[in-house]
Amino acid sequence: MNIKKNIVSLKQSFPIFNDILNVIKSEFRTMFKDRGVVIMLVLAPLAYPVLYCSLYKNETLIDVPVAAVDCSRSQESRELLRHMDATQSIQIASTYSSLAEAKQAYNEKIVHGVVYIPADFSKKLNSGDQTTVSIYADISSFMYYRIINLACSNCVLDMSNKIQVERLNANGITGESATIISNPIPYEGITLYNEGTGFASFLMPAVLILIIFQTLFLGIGIIAGTSRGENRFHVLVSSSVHRGGTFRVIIGKSFCYFILYAAWSFFILMIIPRAFDLPHIGIPFDIMMLMVPFLLASVFFSMTVSVFLPHRETGMVIFMFMSLILLFLSGVSWPQSNINGFWRVFAWIFPSTCGTQGYIKINTLGADLHHISFEYISLWIQTILYFGTCCWAYSWQINKSRNKVNIPSEIQ
Amino acid sequence: MVSRPIYFISTVIIMTFTYVFFLTFFNEGQPNKMPISVVDLDNSSLSRQFTRNLGTMQHSNIVRRLNSHKEAREEVQRGNIYAFVEIKRDFAKEAVSNRRPIITFYVNDGYLIAGSLISRDITYMSAATSIGMQQKILRAKGVEENRIMGILQPIVLDTHLIGNPWANYGTYLLNVILPGILQLMVLMMTVFPIGVEYKERTSREWLANSNNSFFAALTGKLIPYTIIFTLLGIIGNMLLFRYMHYPLNSTIGWMFLATFMLVIATQAVGVIFIGITPVLRDGVTFAGVFGMLGVTFAGSTFPIEQMPTGTRIFSDFFPIHHYFEIYVNQALNGVGIHYSYIYFIFLLSFSVLPLIVFNRLKKAAINQNFPIK
Repeated sequence: MNIKKNIVSLKQSFPIFNDILNVIKSEFRTMFKDRGVVIMLVLAPLAYPVLYCSLYKNETLIDVPVAAVDCSRSQESRELLRHMDATQSIQIASTYSSLAEAKQAYNEKIVHGVVYIPADFSKKLNSGDQTTVSIYADISSFMYYRIINLACSNCVLDMSNKIQVERLNANGITGESATIISNPIPYEGITLYNEGTGFASFLMPAVLILIIFQTLFLGIGIIAGTSRGENRFHVLVSSSVHRGGTFRVIIGKSFCYFILYAAWSFFILMIIPRAFDLPHIGIPFDIMMLMVPFLLASVFFSMTVSVFLPHRETGMVIFMFMSLILLFLSGVSWPQSNINGFWRVFAWIFPSTCGTQGYIKINTLGADLHHISFEYISLWIQTILYFGTCCWAYSWQINKSRNKVNIPSEIQ
Repeated sequence: MVSRPIYFISTVIIMTFTYVFFLTFFNEGQPNKMPISVVDLDNSSLSRQFTRNLGTMQHSNIVRRLNSHKEAREEVQRGNIYAFVEIKRDFAKEAVSNRRPIITFYVNDGYLIAGSLISRDITYMSAATSIGMQQKILRAKGVEENRIMGILQPIVLDTHLIGNPWANYGTYLLNVILPGILQLMVLMMTVFPIGVEYKERTSREWLANSNNSFFAALTGKLIPYTIIFTLLGIIGNMLLFRYMHYPLNSTIGWMFLATFMLVIATQAVGVIFIGITPVLRDGVTFAGVFGMLGVTFAGSTFPIEQMPTGTRIFSDFFPIHHYFEIYVNQALNGVGIHYSYIYFIFLLSFSVLPLIVFNRLKKAAINQNFPIK
């Protein structure tokens, strides 16, 4: 009760609050009245993460079919193939007597790789010579190549090591010294983050941030384009707002978007990763701290650009493709260290770049806020910068609309 | 068509930007010389030798020497390095005295591409160091020189990558991303020019212009885009296969044909979207969603076969999926064209789709009985 009274008194004593509240009310009304806006600002942020996470649900490939060409037909070659078949990643789907036949199966896309064991495989193994096993891997998707190569090299290495010990023994080197020679400098590779080397765990965090950014950007574009396209005079600013306070309009509108997307961010960045077993080792508070400047910068950035969209469809038609560009600019798949100077600067313009990097570092790599100071400070700089451009663009629009209706500003 | 800037922007400008962007972005082909670090607590000639050798590898660049595991891990978390190798104290001493010192390396697979390439480098170098050591010991034991490699590496694995022998990342990605953006823009530029006639209530004039033949009106509307996008697509093919010299194991003509049919098939899908509800705003939304999903359903990033069941059938509804299959067959694998007939037929069959919505669109054009919002 007291709060309500306070608000009322606040409204009376500061008309600016009244105006801002009016803007907020009318903005929320526009947002939920328009089917297109609801799709973009409500449905898309809820549905897209679920859809993409389901599509990429399988983190790695399982039992990729591979053909075997066993020209050796020996006990050793069969053992090697049995081991390959037993791996989780590949299966020996069929055996052929020649490479040409296997190639046929590959061309028909029945198998995605071929293992070729030469005729002298067993002979060379028994005579102590070096022998070669060849694999041919499908590279139409990197996933195939990676998994086939990995599975085969592990199996070959295992067998190789066993034979090595036998050969050392045959050369009179046994026991402890055989162990030392077979592995004088052992090495151990430890995967630090994304331990399962999962595809979804790697790509989805970036996609989630981009979903937030792009739906927000396109949604704001639809709203601004609509008010411009359908209302020639009140260009961009709803008619209930008088007294022409650019500042009030911007604060009011951005508040709406921010509140809505704060809720979506919680859903997309906190619930989705847990529901779909994506990495989530970050501290929720740090993610929240990062999201504040990220959302603000994104809102002001989108509002600035939206001023220049003449119709509601324009933004979607022209900027949809940017989702893909932004994904690469974010430096997740193609490493950021290898993006050349110009594109790195270009990438910085979009809040999604720092947002993605910051989020991945906290969420996937478990970084603290002070580890991502570059991203964090950048996002605040962008917030201030785009707030400035937003004010400029809006006041330019509002002045233009005044001139159009040709009413002196005092009266309006 | 020339009346609004949006038509020019969404065809020529966006496709040109896309080509320039991706070709300059991936000009390296593979991410080379990515920053990694070595925590060398031993600082012996052996460990320095290892570090030096590692620094010469294709994907790795040793950017800084760090003094502790914690420091290195934080550098990984900051994103400054993608991996680090830890060489423990007394590494050289233990190696010489046969006490099997261990090399440990930590790779950040949060950035999967960087992680797996670097991981390969470090594994290779660690194995090479080990083998160097083994050779020395075996020689000292008096094993004959020609027997040594047979003992150290009884089986060698020889990996061939079909069609893309250098595992060029650009080859792999751009052959899907560029047509992906092309089909997205085709969708948009099918839905928009048609939908705008309904939105602006000019559909009767549009129809009148073609002697009230809706078929003529529709094809007349779309043919300019067919030509423009086919040309832009062919330019894309030329850039990839001629300028960048990405693998092309058959004649480029098949790719031109595939591009042309991709454009037509996608236009047909676009007509469906604007036909379901001749409301511009919804049509654009459908087109956008479908176009973006197309990139996923092409099947290059994550194989369709390994996606949840049912997805495979679903992917057949995306023209870009069939284009991708043709690309894999013709450009990458270089197989006989008869393997790709089925995909060409698929693409061709898309063009009957507009029949489903033909009458609906026609009536809507005459009656103008659809809400503009």
